[in-house]
Amino acid sequence: MNIEIKGLRFTYPTGLEALKGINLTIQSGEQVAIVGQNGAGKTTLVRHFNGLLKPTSGSIFIGDWETTQFSVAKLASRVGYVFQNPDDQLFSRDVLSEITFGPRNLGYAKEKVDELVQRALTLTELSDKTETNPYDLSPTWRKMIALASIIAMDTPIVIFDEPTTGQDAVNVARIANVIAELKREGKTVITITHDIDFCAENFERVIALSNGQVLLDGPAREVLGQEEILAQTYVDPPQLTRLGKRLGLKETVTRQEEFLQALK
Amino acid sequence: MNPNRSFFVPVDSPLHRLNPLTKLTFVFAMILPAFLSVPELAPILAIPVFLAAFIGRVQKPYLNLLLKLILPTITFMFVMQSVFLPGGETILFMLGPFDVTQEAMRSAFFTVTRIFVMVSSFALLLLTTHPSELMSDLTQRGLPGQFAYVIISTLQILPQMQAKAQTIIAAQRSRGLDTESTFLKRAGSLVPLVSPLVFGSLAEVEERAIAIEARGFTSKKTKTSLHEISDTSFDKGLRWILVILILASVALRIWLS
Amino acid sequence: MAFINLTNLTYKYPLTETPVLQNINLQINEGEFVAVVGPNGAGKSTLCYTLAGFVPHFFKGELTGSVEVAGASLLESTLDEWVLNVGLAFQNPFNQISGAKYSVFEEIAFGLENIGIPREEIKVRVEEAMVRTGIRELADRSPYSLSGGQQQRVALTSILVMKPKLLVLDEPTSQMDPIGTREVFGVIRKMAEEGMTVVLVEHKVEWIANFADRVVALKGGEILLEGKPNEVLTSELLSENGFGISRYTSAAREAQKRGLWKKKQLPVTLDEAVEGFKS
Repeated sequence: MNIEIKGLRFTYPTGLEALKGINLTIQSGEQVAIVGQNGAGKTTLVRHFNGLLKPTSGSIFIGDWETTQFSVAKLASRVGYVFQNPDDQLFSRDVLSEITFGPRNLGYAKEKVDELVQRALTLTELSDKTETNPYDLSPTWRKMIALASIIAMDTPIVIFDEPTTGQDAVNVARIANVIAELKREGKTVITITHDIDFCAENFERVIALSNGQVLLDGPAREVLGQEEILAQTYVDPPQLTRLGKRLGLKETVTRQEEFLQALK
Repeated sequence: MNPNRSFFVPVDSPLHRLNPLTKLTFVFAMILPAFLSVPELAPILAIPVFLAAFIGRVQKPYLNLLLKLILPTITFMFVMQSVFLPGGETILFMLGPFDVTQEAMRSAFFTVTRIFVMVSSFALLLLTTHPSELMSDLTQRGLPGQFAYVIISTLQILPQMQAKAQTIIAAQRSRGLDTESTFLKRAGSLVPLVSPLVFGSLAEVEERAIAIEARGFTSKKTKTSLHEISDTSFDKGLRWILVILILASVALRIWLS
Repeated sequence: MAFINLTNLTYKYPLTETPVLQNINLQINEGEFVAVVGPNGAGKSTLCYTLAGFVPHFFKGELTGSVEVAGASLLESTLDEWVLNVGLAFQNPFNQISGAKYSVFEEIAFGLENIGIPREEIKVRVEEAMVRTGIRELADRSPYSLSGGQQQRVALTSILVMKPKLLVLDEPTSQMDPIGTREVFGVIRKMAEEGMTVVLVEHKVEWIANFADRVVALKGGEILLEGKPNEVLTSELLSENGFGISRYTSAAREAQKRGLWKKKQLPVTLDEAVEGFKS
């Protein structure tokens, strides 16, 4: 299911013009990272994908649905959105019912709901915590519950807003696993992130936003190598990319294996 | 609400230049007589309150507030009181099955003018006084800092809670929660909305307490203030006149009863 | 006598069984910049709250051992005295905004008003602090109208302006972009060079190596390792225990196995990596 964005502009009621003409196509099954400085318009952009915001002008199509024609609750069957702060969405007394909430809202049959919930629990390593109250778990685990509650909705498109903020290495690895699994299932994953190394290691396409416009868009390796342009939106290239540049490697490298291969 | 999240309108006017306590005294000099004294006083007090908005050069936001908030409220109260207040004898007309009496309408009129005086004078105080200055002035006059903080932070944090509620609604709608349909469905969707708000607020209150404590909030030293607040002899004189007005109206009430 | 002395520090939150900090022994000198790393749940935030006095004075619970900062003992001091020496900024910037102020300038002045600094001095110090952290242009904005990263700068400035002897920072840059992070680290480094002692909890390993004097690695409430950034952050113990490590370190460790990294010492920072791979 493709996402088609044409001439998207968005102005907040306060008069702030957050998006100034965005044109993008995101193909079914792509893994896209959106980077850029604070206030570049990243969250504003992805909130258009599930209809939380409606364009001031221009259009967004999710498959054959134009977002203005559908409610957020309806669009939720195509676009899952994991908010940055899990505490903004957790309300149930136990992990299981929290994760069941989304798929049940979408009206799947009971067997399908159970199956989806089990799969989400396994993927997020929460299977042994189904009866725990989310508020008795650490913020790290609450993040995983939030992830699971969206994954269980089995939407073709999944959005993560800053999934790694405040997470330790172990949990970042867990989140990377989840993203890899979604990729295997052919889902589109769109992630907003400041963590550029995480971005380099888990995404094929990178879109850099600056000041409400697309600054760079392309394969991760191409985009992340453009040090000067990225600096305009306060983004540094990944650690290994910078190292490769300093060592004078001919090609831009972003991941460890690439780097080691290029070194030989 | 403006980006500064207060009602304050930053212009220069005789009202803006008054000491915050003087304006607070004015508020009470309008409210206390309106409620304690003879009912006929309230409509008379409404006139200076209304005019003060022009002296304070805040007539536009004031009239805006009047039209959007005050008038609808008092119109509603007026109709309800006129219809339901029992004991009237002079029936003016029928509204459906209800008698509307002259006595009920008269009483309703006085009630709503009292409300008008109260809400309007408070609105004027907020429109012409920077909230930080009001707080600084009151704490310097001996109001406990904690008390002043609770008042002012509540005013600030309410719009924040509203913003947080918006985020929670957005997050749950993204999970397929239908908040746009029938009332019954909406009632059922309250738990997913209210529960994160309550838990979130509890956590926030604790963290905020730590943050302000870390910045010396309960320090035993005498607090100072960034804002210099003038208190002229004109202010002092005006406050005495207002206090006398309050006392006189109360005396009038006692004398008449 | 060190500036900070933690001796056999053990602490349990009320109504809990397991200590969050266990038998911590740590000395920190005046003007030292110490970074604390560790997985979630290692006790990093609790350590911050302890240095800042909120453990046990605010959270209660059971503290044994001793905590001394600038010659004062925590258990014998009251919280309002303690905070005059120790400034604390933590992760969530939104909850650190006082709620009592309508502009960034006023917000930063809040702490100085509380401790009775004269008006003219407040103005000078707020101005100075804002210039220092690069938020001068936000002075008249409402603190609530700012982005998370900007709010974090305001939170940090609000503490710096009070000139505490000890600055305790719990992930103060979590919502900042990389270049903002680098700037803020530079500011903190400078404060340390001017004599302020800094204890900083941070996940961003590369920055720690670039700026901190010493690293303490916490795990399960205990000190696992402690020492120079380069030694601690390249230790194999860290990767084995779920700590975040720099990509330079992991790439060099792999390169070492393939004979592409000749030195014994592994790198943490870009410069170290460049130097090592070139040789």
